[in-house]
Amino acid sequence: MSAEAPDGSGEWRRLHPLSPLLRGGVVLVGLVGYAASQIYENVLSSVGLDVFAPDDGDVEFDDGSSGPGDPVDQALAHPFIALALLAAFLGLVALANWVAWRFARFRVGGGQVELRQGVLFRQHRQVRLERVQAVELSRPLIGRLLGLARVVVQSAGGADSTLTLSYLELGRAEALREHLLDLAGRSDEVALDPSGALARDGAQPRGPSSPVLDAAARPVLEVPNGRLFVATILHGSTIALGLILLLGATAAGVRSVGPLALAGVPAMIPVAIGVAYSRVKQLLVHGNFHLADTGTGVRVQEGLTDLRTTTIPIHRIQALELVQPLWWRRFGWWRLRVNVAGSGSSEEDDHDTTLLPVGTLEEARVVLSLLAPGVPTAAWGAAVLGDGPDGGWQGVSERARPFDPLSYRRNAWTDAAGAVLLRSGRWTRRAVAVPYARIQSLSVRQGWLEGRRGLATVHIVTAPGPVDASLAHLDAHAAEVFLDVIADRARIARRRAEPARPYLAADPPGLVDWVRHPQGSPDTERR
Amino acid sequence: MADPLPVPPAARSVSVTLHGGDLPWRPVSPMLTRVRLITLALAVAPALVVTVVLGVLLTSWALLGAVAVVLVGLWAAWLVARQVSSISWVELDEEIVIRKGRLFRTLVSVPYGRLQYVDIQSGPLARAHGIASCEIHTASPESDGQLPGLPVAEAEALRARLAARGEAQRAGL
Repeated sequence: MSAEAPDGSGEWRRLHPLSPLLRGGVVLVGLVGYAASQIYENVLSSVGLDVFAPDDGDVEFDDGSSGPGDPVDQALAHPFIALALLAAFLGLVALANWVAWRFARFRVGGGQVELRQGVLFRQHRQVRLERVQAVELSRPLIGRLLGLARVVVQSAGGADSTLTLSYLELGRAEALREHLLDLAGRSDEVALDPSGALARDGAQPRGPSSPVLDAAARPVLEVPNGRLFVATILHGSTIALGLILLLGATAAGVRSVGPLALAGVPAMIPVAIGVAYSRVKQLLVHGNFHLADTGTGVRVQEGLTDLRTTTIPIHRIQALELVQPLWWRRFGWWRLRVNVAGSGSSEEDDHDTTLLPVGTLEEARVVLSLLAPGVPTAAWGAAVLGDGPDGGWQGVSERARPFDPLSYRRNAWTDAAGAVLLRSGRWTRRAVAVPYARIQSLSVRQGWLEGRRGLATVHIVTAPGPVDASLAHLDAHAAEVFLDVIADRARIARRRAEPARPYLAADPPGLVDWVRHPQGSPDTERR
Repeated sequence: MADPLPVPPAARSVSVTLHGGDLPWRPVSPMLTRVRLITLALAVAPALVVTVVLGVLLTSWALLGAVAVVLVGLWAAWLVARQVSSISWVELDEEIVIRKGRLFRTLVSVPYGRLQYVDIQSGPLARAHGIASCEIHTASPESDGQLPGLPVAEAEALRARLAARGEAQRAGL
């Protein structure tokens, strides 16, 4: 079995032979089905059993397929010729797919993942392992039926920075994913192994989560589908829609405005469909949510139809956010989202950024303790529920009251160990944490009205994602202090953090210019 | 890192402020004002021509429009001059800080260690005036590190310095 001789041995490997069928599968099946039904019909009609056209309803159809005169039509009309053509077509498609499959190969080794594909238009994509941000497993419905899975390697970059290996057998895909994560998320010495191959047994500094990787992932929590269903329904859009419908229904009962309200019904239909679509999509994406702890990251498994497994290394998480919409407060539910470097910023695709679609505060704390171990639990408690200046929270002042009449006492920041915490919102409660070591840049902005009142808004820029780390309407001086303190903390954190790993495993390690890292890299010291 | 702040934040004196402060802030080239004024003039001129022609040929009421165009143009010119004079930047030990705007002030602080690459751009008009704009990119497109109106030689020198410091202080993502 390939798990014993892993795909990471540096050799070129092929994808699963059924891959092309699965990739173009649906279209092909549809085409063949259509052709078969046509032929079947022709066969029937040629034998004189025209079951499909009992009356003149199919006149133009008959004219088209079996009308006399046109030799091509006649030829096509003959069932055997048509069958032969279909067989030839299928053969061609199969051949093309087979060739494509023969030419598609991937390789893990030499510090990178490579995928070559294409015959006429060749594509060779490679992703350096130190640039791998996340590796996920995706299993579309047909793939699940056949026991196949897709491995998606994400790297930092634009929208098209993924390398997708579709498809592999499930076991092989899982082994490959773990292997890649090991190489990417773990220490340099493994990846720097000159042969490029991984010595799986022995020198694995990983401790508990060694070779049998799937067993090593410790399940942490799962979200019951019932709860997810209720939480998904309890959304601003559905509540607004419900209110409008209620209003409309009431209005329809009143004689004077009734017809008007009824006239509005057609306008509401697309809105309702839109809302339903987005809610159902949320359910499909986040259903069967399982989260496990892999030691260096968390593994998320979710999806009702399209099962996806994503592993997010902790050090790739750039910012975290706990949110509680007003309508979840009764249930004490929270949503946890993160910014992950490299998984894009589109709101639509929130697969890799939602680490708890809905959960209690206790569950959220468990996940947070895995993701941001540096932030004390007490700080989170004050961040999600607290207000006022207790516990070192630097808030906005009375001057911000006209801007935030409800939440001016809640909007604040604090310097927790290893991260800055921001809290805001009276109705929709929100707490954001940004590890100091992940801050990209800082900005202070002051609008015209803010300037009149001596206020300013601060913004911590991290890699793009759903989490927006900003705090509005601080006193201008407080904002400058914020900038000063956070820049200082970030400076220290950057120095402590390992420098960007500039290794090029393809080169001998001697070529790596360590001298350029005056503060000394931990790797060189270790050696 | 959990050590308490040495000075309570309210009493802390900060050097980087929205209104400048005592750091060696450097202005951008006054040529930028000229370039932007020329661009503005090119944008305003057609409207002025149209209104004047209409005023001469059809109705003198259109000349009122011409006056309005001139007034708007003058106001925009004043705005441009103020905007450009408010752009300033300073290179600190580990960050470059860019300050912009008067009515809407922004202060952006980009650490050298986060630098991914630096763009230097210069259109034909800017090139004719010997200036270029320098844009600092981090891993996030939201880091707005644009610094317009540097003399070309200075922009090149800044890029070299940024690259060197970025390399020296580079931190992982």
